[in-house]
Amino acid sequence: MATSILIVDDEFGLAQMLREMLRESGYEVRLAINGRLALQILDEAEVDVVLTDMMMPVMDGAELATAIRTADKHRSTPIILMTSLPTAVLRLDGLFDAVLRKPFAPELLLGTIVSCLKGEDARVTARSSREEH
Amino acid sequence: MSGSRPSSERRPTGIEGLDRILEGGLLGSGVYIVQGPPGAGKTILANQTCFNHAAAGGHAVYVTLLAESHSRMFAHLGRMTFFNESAIPDHVYYIGGYSALAAEGLDGLVTLIRGAIQKHKATLLVVDGLISAQESSPTEREFKKFLHEIQTLADLTDCTVLLLTNVQRASGFFPEHTMVDGVLHLTDELSELRPLRHIRVLKLRGSAPIRGLHSMRITDQGLEVTPRIETRLGQGVLNEAEVAWGPKVPLGLDALDEMLRGGLRSGSITMLLGSSGSGKTLLGMQFLAEGVRRRERVVYFGFYERPEAILAKCQRVGIGGLKEGVEQGLARMVWHRPVEGVIDELGESLIQTIASFRPQRLFLDGMEGFKRAADFPERMSHVYSAIAQELERLGVTTVYTTETRALFEKTIEVPINGLSAATQNIVVLRHIEHHATMLRVLAILKIRDGDYDARMRELRITDDGLQLLDTFAGASGVASGGGVSNEPRMTGLE
Repeated sequence: MATSILIVDDEFGLAQMLREMLRESGYEVRLAINGRLALQILDEAEVDVVLTDMMMPVMDGAELATAIRTADKHRSTPIILMTSLPTAVLRLDGLFDAVLRKPFAPELLLGTIVSCLKGEDARVTARSSREEH
Repeated sequence: MSGSRPSSERRPTGIEGLDRILEGGLLGSGVYIVQGPPGAGKTILANQTCFNHAAAGGHAVYVTLLAESHSRMFAHLGRMTFFNESAIPDHVYYIGGYSALAAEGLDGLVTLIRGAIQKHKATLLVVDGLISAQESSPTEREFKKFLHEIQTLADLTDCTVLLLTNVQRASGFFPEHTMVDGVLHLTDELSELRPLRHIRVLKLRGSAPIRGLHSMRITDQGLEVTPRIETRLGQGVLNEAEVAWGPKVPLGLDALDEMLRGGLRSGSITMLLGSSGSGKTLLGMQFLAEGVRRRERVVYFGFYERPEAILAKCQRVGIGGLKEGVEQGLARMVWHRPVEGVIDELGESLIQTIASFRPQRLFLDGMEGFKRAADFPERMSHVYSAIAQELERLGVTTVYTTETRALFEKTIEVPINGLSAATQNIVVLRHIEHHATMLRVLAILKIRDGDYDARMRELRITDDGLQLLDTFAGASGVASGGGVSNEPRMTGLE
């Protein structure tokens, strides 16, 4: 069974491009345009990695990560934050396994996903929030 | 607007010139369309307003619809001083709205916007890419309904809304214009090879904006708007009597001061009209040097010769004291490049300099500098008139130069329309041939409400300063360039 990735991003074009790119790399990909819809998908399906934006309508990336970390089902699912902002201005509180600053190279994203799936410390490849704090 | 009334509280955009045009800013719960072609500055205007709003303690939500990605937008805005990353996401929040629009239509977009305003307590909302909402609408009525819902939302939440959309032209009928409180139109066009940006208020409910086109510039500070200068200068009451009966301001050339019966009237405006090289600039600098000698504050405002070059020239020809005046803070030299300027900015710079430094004397070297910076030549007479009235109101005695086109013309024409009427005094300088010699000649052509000596004098530039000679006594036809003396030539200095 293919590894399943959930992309959570309200930027239409970016989300579409990421989905195509990850599908071509062999992943099964679902899309949600905000945190609340992402939680619905997480309730209904198995997801191996969550790839989320920070600023979104309805429920943002930090609220989504908090909800995931406090629920039983996906508590340990790796969450990668994609953001246009420097993480220094965000209060991340260790919610994310890795942080990618937009724009990023596709290889960096793919490498970060692999590292997270292996349970490796993804900070080396993608500058985690913990490192920047 | 279906009975909804925008709050009369003004929310400044924080863009100074724009707020002046808008009578202080946007209405509290007003809905505004900001339109223009791509690249006109709509996104910068909206973002700048958001960050200025945040700096004042407000909260803004910026919704994009098939516009550039947020990371790309941040990269472009990052070089601008107003862009403050630390205000994101707590005070300025960016969301993409196109996914909701594509999935659920305009109703979905309204729901998304309503939720974002409430969640982030937004008092300013930007929807960037209104054209996408319009194109997604199955009918014109649906789109109007969407706008109506946005208005209702703005009213309920006391949120100011900016809707950004691409249009090429300002004229024509746009149904959406009837649904909003204001329409700002931005343009970016070429005048010959010079890029010109303008902003125009097409509509503004509940306000009396400054109408017409206003200059706009995009710099590292963001959008800078300069209201059309003729709409705001010269509004004060002029006291012609004060000018007519004010004390005399000598130029420090005894012969010329005698011709002027003691000097120029305080607060008056004097044109030095002449051909290139006829001595206009040096005469103007002599006027300033005399001011410095009397411990008055003086300003040089020019476009062509750089201040350091002109000061060096003055020293070479014996017009002394100006460099020292600059060092002592009595003289201020203001120089603008004659190309790529914006006439409204030049006028603003001039008036700000006079209003802040409060000089007794101003020498404006090269009135044509304003003309070269004009976006529309037909504005010039209004601009000159407004600047002249403002200078009079500020009480500064002004001397300016303007250049005649030909060196040896028989008739004298003022090259710029509208100048003479705004000028009390005219002094002509020109070259003439006299006894097979080229000479500089000076004559007073006009002194409003005052006596003067109308004789023509030779103006000589020496190492010891300017000198006026009574070379043409008894000669006739001097003004036409072919004066023949009826008496032996006089060479004595006056």
